[in-house]
Amino acid sequence: MAMSISGGCVGGDSCTVLAPSASSLRPPLRRAAGPKGHFCTFPHGASSNHMLTNNQLCVEHQRCPQSSTQTYALSRKDFSPITQDVEGFLHNVVNMGFLDRLKLAWKIMFPAPTIKESSNANIAKQRLKMILFSDRCEVSDEAKKKIVEHVIEALSEFVEIESRDNVQVDILTDAGLGTVYSVTVPVRRVKPQYQESEEQYRGKIVGVDFKDTGESSGNVDVTFDFFVPNENY
Amino acid sequence: MAFAPPRLLPLPPPPAAAASTRAVSARHHGGRTAPELSGPTPRVVVVTSGKGGVGKTTTTANLAASLARLGLPAVAVDADAGLRNLDLLLGLENRVHLTAADVLAGDCRLDQALVRHRALQDLHLLCLSKPRSKLPLAFGSKTLTWVADALRRSPNPPAFILIDCPAGVDAGFVTAIAPAEEAVLVTTPDITALRDADRVAGLLECDGIKDIKIIVNRVRPDLVKGEDMMSALDVQEMLGLPLLGVVPEDAEVIRSTNRGVPLVLNDPPTPAGLALEQATWRLVERDAMTAVMVEEQERPKKKGGFFSFFGR
Repeated sequence: MAMSISGGCVGGDSCTVLAPSASSLRPPLRRAAGPKGHFCTFPHGASSNHMLTNNQLCVEHQRCPQSSTQTYALSRKDFSPITQDVEGFLHNVVNMGFLDRLKLAWKIMFPAPTIKESSNANIAKQRLKMILFSDRCEVSDEAKKKIVEHVIEALSEFVEIESRDNVQVDILTDAGLGTVYSVTVPVRRVKPQYQESEEQYRGKIVGVDFKDTGESSGNVDVTFDFFVPNENY
Repeated sequence: MAFAPPRLLPLPPPPAAAASTRAVSARHHGGRTAPELSGPTPRVVVVTSGKGGVGKTTTTANLAASLARLGLPAVAVDADAGLRNLDLLLGLENRVHLTAADVLAGDCRLDQALVRHRALQDLHLLCLSKPRSKLPLAFGSKTLTWVADALRRSPNPPAFILIDCPAGVDAGFVTAIAPAEEAVLVTTPDITALRDADRVAGLLECDGIKDIKIIVNRVRPDLVKGEDMMSALDVQEMLGLPLLGVVPEDAEVIRSTNRGVPLVLNDPPTPAGLALEQATWRLVERDAMTAVMVEEQERPKKKGGFFSFFGR
């Protein structure tokens, strides 16, 4: 974890304008800020004093660029996109003035409440989506019975069904997939011809004759007869 | 029969009251004063919604009035056999004496049952039955089909037949959609109306009406901005149908209903009236609109100042 921050200085290619990048970074920052704590000030609970080492990110005092060349080759390729954003961000942070950084700190510590996700309109949209899916895909009872029969018929070709009465069809709505029909069929066993078996061959090998076992020459020369039973037997 | 032949060319100088509204509509439509009629006439359009109270009758009345004002003869049919409202909105409630029920019973001719609007010469109203009639209200689904055919066969057929559908999805609905080839689905941006609208859209498609367009009614832009109400874009996304118009909530609707004058005839036009007028153009030209998101105003980024980070 320390690695991801130690290379932090590297990310910014050029000094970009902070305001748009901060706003575009805000969602990933907020997500990442949860488990990792506050980036700007105390990552992993270490105090800012500990960060004044060469390899780690310096927030306030040191200039980043002088350590960048060292760590560049090592750590760049390990970074996930989110840590690259973080690097860019932190790189820019260091180059800001004090007041700007203070403003940023304020915004990060007291983020504005998200109105987007839990707004009434969005709640209504989600509910409506679910209800439209289930309304549109509702089938009649007769159709359900026929679905069960057809499915049982199709499956019985391959497996033996435990009990026909226990077969159930359910219509559910799933957030990711929409409407999901699930038919639950208890199965006793698979029919023999479709069973997964280790012994694929039913033939016999006879008359094995090693001309050269390969101990000295490294080649094996063997003849044998392989009988495959005829289907009539 | 009192139908004027459909006039597609710009009219001769209209009376003064209509001149300014025509100028307004010309401004909005790139200088044209009349839309181009698309498709064979008469076009039979059913205005339906499923849920009651979303504005079907208001929409029908105003679309019909708008069509008549554009010079396209229109017949508005109130297909609600039990409860009659379209006559009130058009201000014709005192002049309805004969209805389609009488025509079917053979008591009168069709043209006698059609009530012509006083101000708009091209607008006629036809009611399906008298609410207080003792006859059973069960009309077969062929009733309106017969009426539409009769209108088609008449010496001066109208350009548009607008059918105001009753609420619900029962026999009245089935009767009303029987002769229609196109549908205008009126809905409001709330979850109940949208669910019903979706169901009705499914029923319409089952019945063979593939040309369905939505009008989103009673939109409150302030609530949409505050993320409390779904926007027209959301509605279009949910239902997956082309958008004919977005009509904002307007107090003028109530006033014009009380007066008995369709609100599109107001001069100067109100927001709802304008929206309905534009919807009429799109209906005539078989066009659809694209909903746009109301853009959030960019808050100016304050660069300096110590207190600027308090409050976003």
